[in-house]
Amino acid sequence: MNRIWLVLAAVLLVGCGVQPSGVTDGGEAPTGLAPGVTLYFVDADEQLTPEPRPSQRLGTIEDALSLLMSGTSNSPLHTEIRASSVPRVNVTRSPGLIQLDVPLSIYEVTPLGIDQIVCTALAVHVQSGGPRDTRVQVRFTLPTAESAKLRTCPLIKAS
Amino acid sequence: MIRRFGLRTRLLVVFALVTALGATAAAWSSAGTASIALVDSTQRRLTETTVNQITAHTPELIYPPDQAALDRLRAAVGGDTAVVYKNLRSADGTDVGLITDALRDAVRARNRLVAQRITANDKPWLLTGTPIMITALDGARTPSGIEVYSVHDLSGVEQQISDLTRSAAVTSALALPLAAILALVAAGSVLRPVRKLRDTARRLAAGDLDARSQPQGADELAELTVTINEMAESVQTSMAAMQRMQADARRFAADVSHELRTPLSTLTAVMEVLEGAADRMDADAKESAQLAITETGRLVQLVEDLMEVSRFDAGTAHLRVEQVDVAGAVRDCLRARGWLDRVDLVAPDAITVPLDRRRLDVIVANLVGNALRHGRPPVRVRLSASAEQVRITVSDHGPGLPEHVLPHVFDRFYKADAARTRTPGSGLGLAIALENARLHGGDLMAGNVAGGARFVLLLPRDLEETS
Repeated sequence: MNRIWLVLAAVLLVGCGVQPSGVTDGGEAPTGLAPGVTLYFVDADEQLTPEPRPSQRLGTIEDALSLLMSGTSNSPLHTEIRASSVPRVNVTRSPGLIQLDVPLSIYEVTPLGIDQIVCTALAVHVQSGGPRDTRVQVRFTLPTAESAKLRTCPLIKAS
Repeated sequence: MIRRFGLRTRLLVVFALVTALGATAAAWSSAGTASIALVDSTQRRLTETTVNQITAHTPELIYPPDQAALDRLRAAVGGDTAVVYKNLRSADGTDVGLITDALRDAVRARNRLVAQRITANDKPWLLTGTPIMITALDGARTPSGIEVYSVHDLSGVEQQISDLTRSAAVTSALALPLAAILALVAAGSVLRPVRKLRDTARRLAAGDLDARSQPQGADELAELTVTINEMAESVQTSMAAMQRMQADARRFAADVSHELRTPLSTLTAVMEVLEGAADRMDADAKESAQLAITETGRLVQLVEDLMEVSRFDAGTAHLRVEQVDVAGAVRDCLRARGWLDRVDLVAPDAITVPLDRRRLDVIVANLVGNALRHGRPPVRVRLSASAEQVRITVSDHGPGLPEHVLPHVFDRFYKADAARTRTPGSGLGLAIALENARLHGGDLMAGNVAGGARFVLLLPRDLEETS
């Protein structure tokens, strides 16, 4: 009989107030820190090559693409994107997809140049905590079938 | 312990207890579930907000950070927050001191966001701590060394929970009077037939064999009622049969003795003639004649006694009450039988009591006769009187009454000694004496004193005259 009362009292007490707890897991830690941003250029062998820029911060996809379109300072690497007078890219993020509206027509960029754009955008996305299997859609100024393609970066494999 | 109370109280208490328990358990469990959910959702909201604020700010954060960068991050997260990087520290609010070592250790060990609820300064707090991670291009995450700790006050949540608890308590309290009313109704429906049954049983016990209860419904109580009715029915039937048989037996005895009277009176007359002629008979014939005369006398006495007993049984024996001087009546009784010189009479004068003189004579004659016949002299009759009753004690100095005989001395035809069947007397004398005593509202008791048997007759002094 006494045990019943004890249990009852315990049940009643549990119902009252916020109880202290031990240390519990609250989920994934935030990320997005980086010593700099990684841009992708093409080397002499026509290979896509990452080039870290020690900007002390990761920045946004827009910032990275602006930097990319303003060209490389590194002599062994070159870019296959024609320099634009308006290096401004509109970025639209949705789950699993990043849409880039680039101020370029399909004629102003080679397939490697498209990879440069895709990889640079995806690198920022991954480093700021995004999933690596996110697809990138590059939409050009003039209507083309290439604008509809969902692309991945050959150097950033979905694990 | 609860059995000390009536059924109604017990039902009421049990009902109230069960209801209170049920309502309390239900209210409390729902309040408990709700409060746990409330705490959980609050905690999740707070941690998500913290993560979102940090995530929104990190792309702009200089790494490795300087003090200004840490200050900006802390400002972005807001609230009571501390941001730590190696030796640098940016803190705001007085409550950040609440951060526990356990939380710090967990942040460094797990590299995940962790949370802990504590109670400090009589208030509940939620502590969150998280490292900020650096994600490599291959997806590998390494801690950056920046840690963000926040302290959130949970007083609001606690207030909500105590509101929930209060409403649960109110609900439980509201259920109680309802339970009491229900218990009263239920107790009434159970106890009404029980009370009726009790009344019926009391009437039956008091001798009213016609008492019955009307069964209502078809429950166990109705079955019990039916059973009790059947029991009363069968008791009544057997009682009636027994009474009829008893009446038959009494009437038969009365009829027999009555029928014997006429031939016996003829026989008595013949015997008187025979007695007169006995002197002229030879010795053998004379002895036979004497035996016949004695036995006829006994037969007459027996029939008289039987008729007297029949009158008692039929309830037709009546007292002829008059004021009687008890000492004189007893002396007359002894004198009439020629016992005065054989009996030691101790009697104070002038005890006058209303009673039936003939019946007193019968009783005294029987007691003294028995004493003279079965006991040894001296036989003593002692009279005494108190305010309520007159006491007549008849004692002898014989062997007394055997122990096994005492309970049966007033039984009809009971013979103390089975071998001594040929004693004079009908075997009804003491039974009639007892009936006579009782008819007076008195009593007759048999017992032994040192050196003999003693019979005590008690007669009340306040008997109503002319009954």
